[in-house]
Amino acid sequence: MKMLAIRRLRPEWLLLLPLAAYILGFTLLPVLRSIMLGFTTDKGAFTLDNYRQLFQNTQFLTALRNTLAITALDLTLAMTLGLGLALILTREFRLRGMFRSLMMVPMGVPTIVSGVTLMYIFDTSGYLNELLYRLGLIQLPIDWAAGGLRTLLMVVFADLWKVTPIVVLLMLAGLESIAEELYEAAAVDGATGWQAFMRVTLPLLKPAITMTVILRGVDTFRIFELPLILAGRVNPVLATFAYTEYNQYHNSNTSGAAASFLMALILVCVVLYLVLVERERKAKVS
Amino acid sequence: MNGSRRRLSPWAIPLLVLAVVAFVTPVYIMFKVSFSSPAEVLTAHPTFWFKDFTVKHWREVIASGNLAGPLYKSLSVATLATLAALAITAPGAYVISRFPPSIRYTVVLALFFTRMFPDVGVALPIAVTFIKWNLLDTHLGLVLAHLTKVLPFIAWILVGTFETIPADLEQAAWVDGANRLQTLARVVLPLAAPGLAVAAMLVWLESWNEFTYALYLTLSENTLPLQTYYYVQRGNWFQAAAYSSLLTVPVMAVTFLLQRYLRSGYLSGSLKG
Repeated sequence: MKMLAIRRLRPEWLLLLPLAAYILGFTLLPVLRSIMLGFTTDKGAFTLDNYRQLFQNTQFLTALRNTLAITALDLTLAMTLGLGLALILTREFRLRGMFRSLMMVPMGVPTIVSGVTLMYIFDTSGYLNELLYRLGLIQLPIDWAAGGLRTLLMVVFADLWKVTPIVVLLMLAGLESIAEELYEAAAVDGATGWQAFMRVTLPLLKPAITMTVILRGVDTFRIFELPLILAGRVNPVLATFAYTEYNQYHNSNTSGAAASFLMALILVCVVLYLVLVERERKAKVS
Repeated sequence: MNGSRRRLSPWAIPLLVLAVVAFVTPVYIMFKVSFSSPAEVLTAHPTFWFKDFTVKHWREVIASGNLAGPLYKSLSVATLATLAALAITAPGAYVISRFPPSIRYTVVLALFFTRMFPDVGVALPIAVTFIKWNLLDTHLGLVLAHLTKVLPFIAWILVGTFETIPADLEQAAWVDGANRLQTLARVVLPLAAPGLAVAAMLVWLESWNEFTYALYLTLSENTLPLQTYYYVQRGNWFQAAAYSSLLTVPVMAVTFLLQRYLRSGYLSGSLKG
């Protein structure tokens, strides 16, 4: 029966062609060309100089450090905040629907626009400083874009504003798939709320958490629009560094090397995460 | 201890209110800036409430003559990209949805994998090639680039849509003497229509919002997001706010229209394979 279904489908395999060809030609091929650009001189000869120069370039090293710091901070905070808010939203209370809808407002904002709005918030004479001033927390305005940790925090908070709602949604989908009976059983066995969370919620939420961490992690590594608008060229991340090399210095090869490096970084992190998570799961089973 | 999951701790609601206020305020500020007099915003102590309501900036947006071009380009690129994305992806996604589960899972995972590549890595060689092909600043060039970004995502959603249509229905149609094309047109497509509509809206939005590829592939013919960025670079807060508001309105509308789909596991469901 199954064989029959596959044989019947055969002529339709042609329908796959446009999609496959497009992804091959417009995604995989460009990626390969990016990698090649990184390994060649502007004349087209093979070289490792682009990478050698990258690792002597202080701008690039700053960008690398910034990217890693932003990703680590952003992921930790987004997951904590997202899971916390999702846990609250699984309970029954008045106006829950309204809260859920309002929470999605940042998802309705284009990324470039979130950069603009958050520029109004984080500017030296912006609305955050004004709020802090009115609350009596500061006397003089803080220059959030001055560099260092404070600028990284600004980019992280700006990104959190944009992505926490998505994390909440993904976590909610995971939480809602956990059967209510398990909590009743835990309660019968005398588990406290905290124990139920650690022993029931977290283990069962693991697939949803893994997927969210990977989705979000990948997006945070390649963060581009927000740092471009908020932090400017003084405080690059890897993606804005690659863009500046191409756009300002017309240096396709360095840009290709930086982009390839970012790609490799993302791949290594995703694979590492999957290996670690999978191994942990196997260890628990055995 | 009964029903520990149902009970709400006392700090939960204040936390939720705080979060929602933090999520909504920046959008309010953006609209507010676009309707505020400069004296109210460009000061060490900007005001949170409207004091001096003005449509001056919006009048400038229209009078400057810079709106029509980017608006036209954004609208036409988004619409063309949507049509092309559906035409390319729907047939492929249908075939993938009829594969045995293990192959289907592998293909969906492979599609998902292509989303890991950073835009700057894909946009760079595309820009280098498009310079040679004279596709910079053209609608076609940007449509081609935007397709790169949306195809895997849309294929992912459409595979999920076609999966829900039982193969038995198609076989019933064959038994009744319908040929393959008739089956697709009369049975499969009507049932997939809601999913196709959702996919179409998501492509349209993605293209409407898209910034990175547009930045690489544009010299002078700006899209709306690029025009917004142009005003940001020139430090014109009010024009940037007005353009941002303009960009946001359709996205916000569709996001709330699609709320149901965004919620009901559309995001996670398709990955279960």
